[in-house]
Amino acid sequence: MFRHLRTLQQVSRRTLSSSAPRQLENKVPLKQKLFQEDNGMPVHLKGGTTDALLYRATMALTVFGCGYVLYALIDAALPKKKD
Amino acid sequence: MAHQAHAYHMVDPSPWPLTGAIAALLMTSGLAIWFHFHSTTLMTLGLILLLLTMYQWWRDIIREGTFQGHHTPPVQKGLRYGMILFITSEVFFFLGFFWAFYHSSLAPTPELGGCWPPTGITPLDPFEVPLLNTAVLLASGVTVTWAHHSIMEGERKQAIQSLALTILLGLYFTALQAMEYYEAPFTIADGVYGSTFFVATGFHGLHVIIGSSFLAVCLLRQIQYHFTSEHHFGFEAAAWYWHFVDVVWLFLYVSIYWWGS
Repeated sequence: MFRHLRTLQQVSRRTLSSSAPRQLENKVPLKQKLFQEDNGMPVHLKGGTTDALLYRATMALTVFGCGYVLYALIDAALPKKKD
Repeated sequence: MAHQAHAYHMVDPSPWPLTGAIAALLMTSGLAIWFHFHSTTLMTLGLILLLLTMYQWWRDIIREGTFQGHHTPPVQKGLRYGMILFITSEVFFFLGFFWAFYHSSLAPTPELGGCWPPTGITPLDPFEVPLLNTAVLLASGVTVTWAHHSIMEGERKQAIQSLALTILLGLYFTALQAMEYYEAPFTIADGVYGSTFFVATGFHGLHVIIGSSFLAVCLLRQIQYHFTSEHHFGFEAAAWYWHFVDVVWLFLYVSIYWWGS
């Protein structure tokens, strides 16, 4: 994402300059080849290792969050003894 | 890869509806925990999970449409219906707050001094920053239409420029409104005037931020050649949303800022 922002900066600079700009390369055909490969991978993992890492991190937070919310709500529901 | 004999999209199994639902659970419970026990951990966790879900879910939709070709004309028709229905639901959301405003302002109670604005409230001058904000959003409506025509005509550079300008105008509106909030002589706690003003304009501001973000994603996609002159529904959806935000502001300006002063 930050790479894209940097690219945006470069493209904007080139676009706004008066010299003929070297265009940002169109990578869509490459992506189309990658995501249409018949490897049985679901779309959310088809991009490669980064997909798997991000998925695992998200799922880990989800599972942890489920446990934490149950603990927090049960704890909130129980009466606290005052000393 | 497509072994289907129909034009519709049977999506791959996805974990994001589950993670999104859990995120909603964590945010709502977290809100309650924050209110009662002063801890923001649960709510923050929910927010992070929400952001992760949104990023991956919408990334997958881009993959399915732009890279896998699943967004055939019938599928795109369904997406159009979906966006229109969603925006309609948002219209009803704002209608509620306008109802609340008119309920209180058309028949001001004795507690308010029997007048609107209520006694003690100095409303903002509608012909200062609010008028500038109106001009900014109207101009952004023009620039987003310019962007659309540029995309349809294959004018890549113009599309990028006009889309970037639209986003800048959106950010300018947000900055101006933030300054207004800071400088306002009244707060959300100042009776029903404060409540109706800040809840209605506050939710509108949130929608400006959402709309600007949606347009920013479209800008990145336009730069990366995702849109063609015939097929650019993501951008159209963002433009519809942006026009909706603009129209809501016009109603807010006329009702709350102008008539309400």
